[in-house]
Amino acid sequence: MGEKEVSKQFLEAFEFQGIKRREFLKFCGATAALLGLSELYIPKIAAAIEKAAKRPPVVWLNFASDSGCTEALIKATYPNAADLVLDILSIDYNETIMAAAGKQSEEIREKSRKAGGYILIVEGGVPTKKGHGMIAGKEMLDILKEMAAPAVAIIAVGSCATFGGVPAAKPNPSQIIGVTEALKKAGVKKAVVNLDLCPVNVEYLVGVVVNYLLLGKLPELDSFGRPKMFYGQTIHDNCERRAHFDAGRFVERFGSNEEALGYCLYKMGCKGPMTYSACPKVQYNDRVSWCIKAGAPCIGCAEHDWPDKFAGFYNRLPDVKLPGIQATADKIGAVAGVATAVGIAAHAIASSGRAKKAGGEK
Amino acid sequence: MANELKYEWSLAYRVEHWVRVIAIAVLVFTGFYIHWPFITGGAEGAVMSWMRFFHSVAAYALVLGLIVRVYMALNSTFDRDWKDFSITKNLKDLPDMLAYYLFVNDTHKDYRKYNPLQALAYLFIAALIIFTTLTGAALYKGNAFGFINAAESFRWVNTMLGGESYTRIWHFLSMWVFLIFVGVHVYMSLLQAAVNKDKTFMSIFTGYKLKKTS
Repeated sequence: MGEKEVSKQFLEAFEFQGIKRREFLKFCGATAALLGLSELYIPKIAAAIEKAAKRPPVVWLNFASDSGCTEALIKATYPNAADLVLDILSIDYNETIMAAAGKQSEEIREKSRKAGGYILIVEGGVPTKKGHGMIAGKEMLDILKEMAAPAVAIIAVGSCATFGGVPAAKPNPSQIIGVTEALKKAGVKKAVVNLDLCPVNVEYLVGVVVNYLLLGKLPELDSFGRPKMFYGQTIHDNCERRAHFDAGRFVERFGSNEEALGYCLYKMGCKGPMTYSACPKVQYNDRVSWCIKAGAPCIGCAEHDWPDKFAGFYNRLPDVKLPGIQATADKIGAVAGVATAVGIAAHAIASSGRAKKAGGEK
Repeated sequence: MANELKYEWSLAYRVEHWVRVIAIAVLVFTGFYIHWPFITGGAEGAVMSWMRFFHSVAAYALVLGLIVRVYMALNSTFDRDWKDFSITKNLKDLPDMLAYYLFVNDTHKDYRKYNPLQALAYLFIAALIIFTTLTGAALYKGNAFGFINAAESFRWVNTMLGGESYTRIWHFLSMWVFLIFVGVHVYMSLLQAAVNKDKTFMSIFTGYKLKKTS
């Protein structure tokens, strides 16, 4: 193979943790597929991960969120290779899972900051209203600002960190914004990889990290800063229920026979046609399932301005909100149509009146 | 006052008009289906696929029809009527026409081909076609005309309107504007034919209209 083979020692270390060599290489193969690389890259990926065993440091910042992304990361049903890759990464600082607390933990963060060269993973939105989000007496915005500068790569995980997500939903009293916007506000010019989902798909995170370890650079991003390899196509275009959509077979009601048959959830408000993510392919929890497979319409959590512009989740289109008016597009159309019909009828009556008058004058 | 038949709409105008009528009818019908699928498909067949197919085909017809109409407005082989659509001139004449339609006056000035209200309405429809096409293209995931990556090239429309779900709303509401226009348009041509007995309504089929000769 030419490339440096994975050392026996490394694989033994894996086997010690209950991961067979075969499983590890399978994971490398899956990652290669995820990154769109040929199978020739599998040994390279294995080697890159082995190299990563020298522990590239990771600082994981928790801001305004429910820590669901941390949960997604640590609560795998059984330890798999993907978890181990993240275990290999030295997560130096993560408020939720680290043993240290208080002054001690702040010292760790300070040490990491001074050493630099870490991958910065941010979970949660950034409150910009003074006093609304603080850790150890420090504004979250300031923590982000000082930790962003020495980082080699910044990855925003989950809807909150990317574009604000649920914490930034109206009326947003803490004026929460996403990491990209927060860095712009703080004057830090650095590319952010946005892994927008609620919670983040751990395989996306592993994909970006492996991509970085392998090629030394961040993946190609779309206009929202999301890796094109994961956010290049809509959920709708790869959906396992797509055949039902094309054939016009829809679930009309939950609990119906149509639902049991696994028909398309379009009429139940599925936002799959306007949501870009590789969910149908990658799925969650080691490819066990994902929302639509489980029978729930997509709510669009991979998108900018979610959830505000995607509510109500079970409506085909979000409500139209104008000052003083909140209505569905259907209602607006129907009202305008009826008003026109009434106008035409009134005009016709008045016109016939005019015709009669003209006739009378003759 | 003698009336004589005048050849108002050459074949090209009538064909362009009816292509547009068919396109709008197909777009509205299939659009309603895509908005809320009211026919349930069976075990076989592809209702939604066909609806979306005809929606796209009709959209091409609508866009190309507009391009052809612009060409006709500039080309002397056809009526070369672009000057009739002057916004400033038509706005100046608009009160005269509105006074007639709103029963203030019983007569109005003579206009060459389109009265000011008409000219402005048609200009608005051209703009509406452009708007609907842009929003439609932004929602389209395929390659427009086979080579324009619609989702990429028209993402700015989504950004401008505040996200793809809002583009959907605008696209849907613009259809209602078409529907309202069609209603008023048909009513007015029927009204004109009934009041002035000048065969306005039939002229879009035959091409001939009665004109006052003085």
